[in-house]
Amino acid sequence: MKLLTHNMLTSHVKGVTKGYPLLIKATEVKVNEVDFNPQFVSRMIPKLEWSALVQAADELGHRQDLPVELVPEYEKNEEFLKKVHRVLLEVEVIEGCLRCPESGREFPISRGIPNMLLNDDEV
Amino acid sequence: MNMMEEAASQLERDHVHSVYDKIAPYFNDSRYKAWPKVQQFLLNLQPGSIVADIGCGNGKYLHINKEVFKMGCDVCRPLVDFAWSQGHEVQMCDGLHLPYRDGCFDALLSIAVIHHLSTKERRIRAIKEMARTLRVGGRIMIYVWAMEQKRRKFEKQDIFVPWNPNPQSPTDREPAKPRKRATAQSVSEAIDNADKHRKVRSTSSVADEEELTCTTPQQSTQRLWFFSRSLDSVFDFGSLSISRSSSRDLSTLSSPTGENERNKSSHWGRGRGLIKQVSSFFSPTSVIGSEEDVFDSVTNLHKGQNAPGGNNNSPENQSVSVSLAQECGSLALPDLVPFQKEHLKQSSDESEGGLQGKEQHESTKSSQGSERQVEGSCLRYYHVFREGELAELIENHVDELLVKHTYFDHANWCVVAEKVQICKI
Repeated sequence: MKLLTHNMLTSHVKGVTKGYPLLIKATEVKVNEVDFNPQFVSRMIPKLEWSALVQAADELGHRQDLPVELVPEYEKNEEFLKKVHRVLLEVEVIEGCLRCPESGREFPISRGIPNMLLNDDEV
Repeated sequence: MNMMEEAASQLERDHVHSVYDKIAPYFNDSRYKAWPKVQQFLLNLQPGSIVADIGCGNGKYLHINKEVFKMGCDVCRPLVDFAWSQGHEVQMCDGLHLPYRDGCFDALLSIAVIHHLSTKERRIRAIKEMARTLRVGGRIMIYVWAMEQKRRKFEKQDIFVPWNPNPQSPTDREPAKPRKRATAQSVSEAIDNADKHRKVRSTSSVADEEELTCTTPQQSTQRLWFFSRSLDSVFDFGSLSISRSSSRDLSTLSSPTGENERNKSSHWGRGRGLIKQVSSFFSPTSVIGSEEDVFDSVTNLHKGQNAPGGNNNSPENQSVSVSLAQECGSLALPDLVPFQKEHLKQSSDESEGGLQGKEQHESTKSSQGSERQVEGSCLRYYHVFREGELAELIENHVDELLVKHTYFDHANWCVVAEKVQICKI
């Protein structure tokens, strides 16, 4: 699971109103090399919940110096875009779980795949 | 969860989820090609878009268009594992409860998925759920099997289609894409199986259509399917009507309307027992005996289908399983089963008690032996769509989507719809 994906994921347990962002507990993290496409990254940024990304990167120990707030005119800031690229697309959770911040319900991640299936009593 | 929900859930577990779990290894080789129009939809997206394929299966659309970020989800673990092995971002989830925040996607795909949902309400919910995750202005492309196929028309809309892992005529066969990352054991197995089953056709819509319209004699028994009533009609207690038929077995399971009225209120209190009966009856494997019986009875069924009135008068040497298989074709009777149980309890001189007992026994037996061979017992449930049905469903029930295009593509009805802002006054 990449952090770009994580940024879209939310807890959907019945009754939960604040299920985002999911807290990450990772037992295995990989960092891959992914081709850097600055326009791609630049276009992704407005679609992100920025603070959730920073928090997730922090939880994985891969935040490095990613800023709490978006830098102005990031579109032209290649250094910044590279940092974002790394965190969004290169860091990957292979094993661990995602925890609902409200209910505490844990969704396992195994072999890189989050299992977001709910039980009958959670729908 | 109410009774209908439970029955629908159970039906989909038995005749969608568990079947795909079993047949997943067969999918992993030749379905490399995407539907051209779906491919075009993806290629036309703005660079930097985020797209989700809801019900992505083995991820065959997830490699298209490097300029957009794609993710997929499915309930079938083996298929999702395979998609991951190809380098895609995928999750396990269920289309009625998507784990994505509101409005986070620029586009969505739902290709040959919602026809596996067994009630109209669930199909609407699935579309609404997807609409929720779509941003305003974003677009969704939905493909569902058409009732009106090129060379044949399904006679009913709710069907069980047997899985045929060994089709006669080979079609396109691309080699498996090289694995993009290290695989876990189960995925390697899946790929090994794929290599072994290289001749096997997977079940994209094209393959399915050919499967269904193939006319080689050897395949004629294998291309048959069971018709069924929809779960919607089954649970429509308000307008309950009992079909009269000359079939011996049908009459044993019917009860007069008066009984229904009296029983109606007590049924809402029924729990698991009823659902088990309904679901087990719905499961064709529970009413058919051995694999040989499937094809014998299906052949009879096929002949019977074209007979006037569609009734199958059973020959005298009927075993329970074969006659019940014939019922499966004319009418599945879950609406009558619960009433019959009540009826049985109340009436002391129930001569058909023996039949019911045996049917129960058959059900229990086969549900325990459900890990039989893949070939014989994999029946997938489909609700095939009439022309205009999908568009109507959206127009009438999903205010947040505006239908932009509808068309027929090979064996599918297709809709492209756009998420619109709903103004609440």
